[in-house]
Amino acid sequence: MISSIFWIVPVSALLALLFAWIFYRNMKAQEEGTDRMKEIAAYVREGAMAYLRRQYSVVIKVFLILVVLLTVLAYFGIQNPFVPVAFLTGGFFSGLCGYLGMKTATFASNRTAWAASKSLNKGLQVALRSGAVMGLVVVGFGLLDIALWFLILNGLVFTPDNMANGMSFLGLTFVHPGTTEHEKLIEITAVMLTFGMGASTQALFARVGGGIFTKAADVGADLVGKVEAGIPEDDPRNPATIADNVGDNVGDVAGMGADLYESYAGSILATAALGAALPAVTGDIQMKAVIAPMLVSAIGILLSIAGVYMVRTKESATPKALLRALLLGTGGSSALILVVLAVMAGLDWITWGVFGAAVAGLAAGVIIGQSTEYYTSDGNKPTQGIAKQAVQGPATVIIEGMAVGMSSTWVPVVTIVAGIIAAYGFAGGFSNFAMGVYGIGFAAVGMLSTLGITLATDAFGPIADNAGGNAEMSELPKEVRERTDALDGLGNTTAATGKGFAIGSAALTALALMAAYMEEVRLWLGRLIDKAPEGFKQIGDTLFYNSTVPAVQDGQTAVHITTASVRDFAAAYDLSLFNPILLGGVFIGGMMAFLFSSMSMKAVGRAAGKMVDEVRRQFREIPGIMEGTGKPEYAKCVEISTKGAQSEMLVPSMIAIVVPLAVGVIFGVPGVIGLLAGGMSTGFVLATMLNNSGGAWDNAKKYIERGNYGGKKSEPHKASVVGDTVGDPFKDTSGPALNILIKLMSMVSVVLAGLTVAWSILG
Amino acid sequence: MDKYVYLTCTPEALVASMLPPEGFGLYLSTGTKKRNKAQTIFIEVDLEKIKDLIDMESLNRRCVAKEDGSPKSSVYLSVYRVLEMVPLDALKSLYLTTDHGVVLKLKKAPYDKAKEVKGALHLYQELNPVTPLVASELPPSAFVKRLTDGSTPITLPKLFFVELKLGELATNPLYGSAEHLPYQNIGHLRDCLEILRGEYEKHMKTVQRVFSGELLYRTIESGFYVGAKDDMVFYPYPSMAELENINYEFFRAI
Repeated sequence: MISSIFWIVPVSALLALLFAWIFYRNMKAQEEGTDRMKEIAAYVREGAMAYLRRQYSVVIKVFLILVVLLTVLAYFGIQNPFVPVAFLTGGFFSGLCGYLGMKTATFASNRTAWAASKSLNKGLQVALRSGAVMGLVVVGFGLLDIALWFLILNGLVFTPDNMANGMSFLGLTFVHPGTTEHEKLIEITAVMLTFGMGASTQALFARVGGGIFTKAADVGADLVGKVEAGIPEDDPRNPATIADNVGDNVGDVAGMGADLYESYAGSILATAALGAALPAVTGDIQMKAVIAPMLVSAIGILLSIAGVYMVRTKESATPKALLRALLLGTGGSSALILVVLAVMAGLDWITWGVFGAAVAGLAAGVIIGQSTEYYTSDGNKPTQGIAKQAVQGPATVIIEGMAVGMSSTWVPVVTIVAGIIAAYGFAGGFSNFAMGVYGIGFAAVGMLSTLGITLATDAFGPIADNAGGNAEMSELPKEVRERTDALDGLGNTTAATGKGFAIGSAALTALALMAAYMEEVRLWLGRLIDKAPEGFKQIGDTLFYNSTVPAVQDGQTAVHITTASVRDFAAAYDLSLFNPILLGGVFIGGMMAFLFSSMSMKAVGRAAGKMVDEVRRQFREIPGIMEGTGKPEYAKCVEISTKGAQSEMLVPSMIAIVVPLAVGVIFGVPGVIGLLAGGMSTGFVLATMLNNSGGAWDNAKKYIERGNYGGKKSEPHKASVVGDTVGDPFKDTSGPALNILIKLMSMVSVVLAGLTVAWSILG
Repeated sequence: MDKYVYLTCTPEALVASMLPPEGFGLYLSTGTKKRNKAQTIFIEVDLEKIKDLIDMESLNRRCVAKEDGSPKSSVYLSVYRVLEMVPLDALKSLYLTTDHGVVLKLKKAPYDKAKEVKGALHLYQELNPVTPLVASELPPSAFVKRLTDGSTPITLPKLFFVELKLGELATNPLYGSAEHLPYQNIGHLRDCLEILRGEYEKHMKTVQRVFSGELLYRTIESGFYVGAKDDMVFYPYPSMAELENINYEFFRAI
C-alpha cells in the first residue's frame, strides 16, 4: 500500500513543470529587442534546433538497436521485459528536457540582452528564470517518470493477483508467480533502475556530441576568424560565430541538463533499489526506505522553486551583489532541505544516520564546487600562476596548467572519500553494509535534491554568454555589453560550481549504482536458482539456494539467496584485489577513461579541421564578407559542426556501452566490479583534472587580456591562447563526458547483470 | 568632401585623404577590402600650416572622389624625412588603431614638468625617424632635448616616441618586481637599467635596436611625445579605467 504522502512526488513533479511553463511564458513575454537582435537570435535558434534534430535522428537509431537487443535478452529470460520500455522512456524524457531547455535558452538570449539594456537586475531575472526552465523540466520530468513507473508497477502490474499467479504476455514473464510483498519492491525498484540507462545513453550522446560541436565551432571561429582574419569575438562577419553561439547551448544547456538528469534520476533510483533491498526490512519500513529518496527530491523541487524567487537584487546591483543574490537562492534552498530532512528524521521516515549521510552529500557538493572555483578563478593563485608562466612561453603554460589540474584533484578526492565514509558511517554505523550504501545513495540524493535551482544557475551561464554575443553582434551600447559581461562573469562562477556538483554527484551516483549492481546480481541469481533443476546455483565455493538447503561438501557454504550479504557474494565471486580477473577489470576501467578522453579529443580535432576549411572557404569565396556587404553562410558552418559531431560521437559513445557488455560476458561479475571501480576512480580524477586544467587555462588567458603581463597581443597572451586552445576539449568535451562514462558503464552493467550472471565465460 | 592630411608613423609618410580620422584609421588597418590587419599610429596635420611645404596643386588634383562617388582613401604626398619637415604647431590630435581598425583619439595637452619623478628611470620606444627601444634616466622633456639639440654626436632633427611602463623597475631595476611587464628578456632590461644607475654621466642605453612594429597599448605609461630641442607636443594616454569610459571598443580590443 502506497502511503498517501507519496503523492507529494508526482504533485511536485507536475508543479515543477507548471512553474517551468510559467517561467517560459514570462520569458517569451519579454521584449525581443531590435530587429538585428531578433535576426541573430533566430539564426542561433535555428542552428540549435537543426543540431538537435540531427542528434535525435542518430540517437533514435541507436536506441532502436539497443531496444531490439534488450528485447532479445528478455526473451532469453536474462532481462526484465519492462526494461526495453523503461529504457525508452528514460531516453525520451532526457531528450525532451534537452529540447525544451535549448528552446528556452535560444529564445532567452536576445531578451536577456534587451533586459540588460534596462538594468543589470532585469537581465539577471530573465536569464535566471530562463535557466530555471531547464532546471525545473529536468527535475520535473525526472521525478514524473519515476513516479509514473512506480505507480504503474505498484498499482497495475504487481497486483496481489499477479503476484500470486504470475503475469505473462507474449511469452515474456513480467511478474513471477509467488512473488512476496518484500520481493515486489525489490523487483519494482530494479526495473525502475534500468530506465536510467536510457537517460545515460541519451546523456552520453548529448555530452559527447555537444562537446564536439561546440569545440569544433569555437576553434573554427577563433582560428580563422580571430587569428587569421583578425576580426574580434562575436563579429557577425565571422561565418562560424553563429555556430559558436549554438555550441554554447548545445554543450552547456542540453549537455549539462542531460548529464544532471541522469545523475538525478540515477541517484534516486539506485537509492530506492538499495532501500528496497535492505535486509530484515519489510512492510511499511521497506516502503518508506523506497519512497524517502523520492520524497526528499520532491520537496527539493518545491524549495528550488522558492529559491528562484529568492533571487532578487536592487536595480543598481553590482556583480558582487548579483552573486550574493544567486548564492542566497541556491544556499537558501540547500539550507531548507536540511530542515526538511531533519523533520523527516524526526517523523521516522529516515534515520538520523541517513540524515547525516544526506548532510555529508550536500557538504561534499559545496566543497567540490568551491574547490573548482578556487582552482579555476583568475582571482586566485593557481590560475594567476599559469598566467605568470605565460611570460616564459607556451610550453610552461601547458606544464603549469597540467600541474594545476592534477593538484586540483586532491580536494575533490579527499572530499568525496570523506563524504562516502561519512555517509556510510552515519547511515550504517560502519557495521551495517546495506544501510551504509543506502546512506551513500542518500548522500547523492541530498546533493542533487535542489538540482532545480542549481541547474537554473548553471544554465544561466550560457544564456548570459549568448546574450553578450547577441549584444556584441547587434552593436548595442557599451553599458549593455558591460552588463552582459557582468552576467557572463557571474555565469562562469556558477558554471564552476555546477561542474563540481556534476562530477561529485556522478561519483556518488556511480558508487550507489555499483552497490545496486550487487542487488541485480542477487535478483538474477535468484531467477537462475528458480530455473535450476538442482535448486541451487554454485558460485565458487558458495551454494546459493532459494527453498531447499542443498547438501554441502567440505569447504562449501550454503547461503539463502534472499539473505545473502555482500560479503557472501564477495566470497563467492572472489571479489578481491588478489583475483586477477577483478584486477584486470580495474585496469580496463582505468584505461577506458583515458581511451574515451582520447577519442573525444581527436574527434574535436577532426571536426574542427572541417570547420576551419569551411570558414577559410567562405572568407575566400564570398565577395564583400570582410567589408560587411557580403553575408556569411552561417547555416553551412552549423551544418558542418553538426555533421562532424554526429559522425564523431558514435564510436566513443558505443565503446562506453560495448566494453561493459564485453567485460561482463568475458570476465563476469568480478571483471565488472573491477571495471566499475577502475573506471569510477580514474574517471573521477581524470575528469576533475581535465575540467580544472581547461578552466584554469581559459581564465589565465582572460586574466592576461584584462591587462596583466601586457594584455592582448603580448607574447604572454599568445602563450596563454595556446593553453586555452589545448584546454578547450579538456573542459568542454572530454572532462564533462567522463561524468557520463562512469555512470553509463555502471548503468549498462546493472541492466545487463542478468546476462553477466547467466553467461559469463571466466567470472 | 573635406580633405585631411595625416602624418603616419609606419611608414613615416605624409598622406592626404578624404576620410576623417576614424575612417582613415580603419582603412589603414584593414584595407579597402577589409582583409588586412595591422596596428597603425598617425597624427592629423593642420593643412593650413603646411600649405607652403607641400605641392597643393598636386594634392588638389589627386585627392578627389572616385568615379563611384566614394571618397579617396589615400594620396601619398611625401615618404622621407616627413616628421622633420612638419612643424610642431601643425600637429593636431594623434590616433591609435587596433588590428581591426578601432580608433582611439589622443588630444594634445600641456606637459607638466613638475610631475616628473626625480631619480626614476624611463623606457622609451622611439617611433620616428629612428626606432630603437631605449632606457633612460632622463624624463621625456630632457630626453627629447638631449637627442635633438645637437649637443651629442648622435642627434636627430625631431623625435616621435612613446613612454612605456617600467613598473617597479623604474626605481628598483635590480630587485623590483617585473611580474606584469610583458617584455622579452627582462634580465637584459634590468642590466640596461642598472647600467644607467651605475655609470656616471650615462643617460641612456639602447635595450633593443629594432622595433617590432607593434605597440602593446596596455604598456604605455605617460603617453606620446613629439619634440625638438625645447619644444614638445605631448599626447597623454589615459589610464585603463579612463579608457574604459572614453572608448569602450578600444579598451576591449587591446
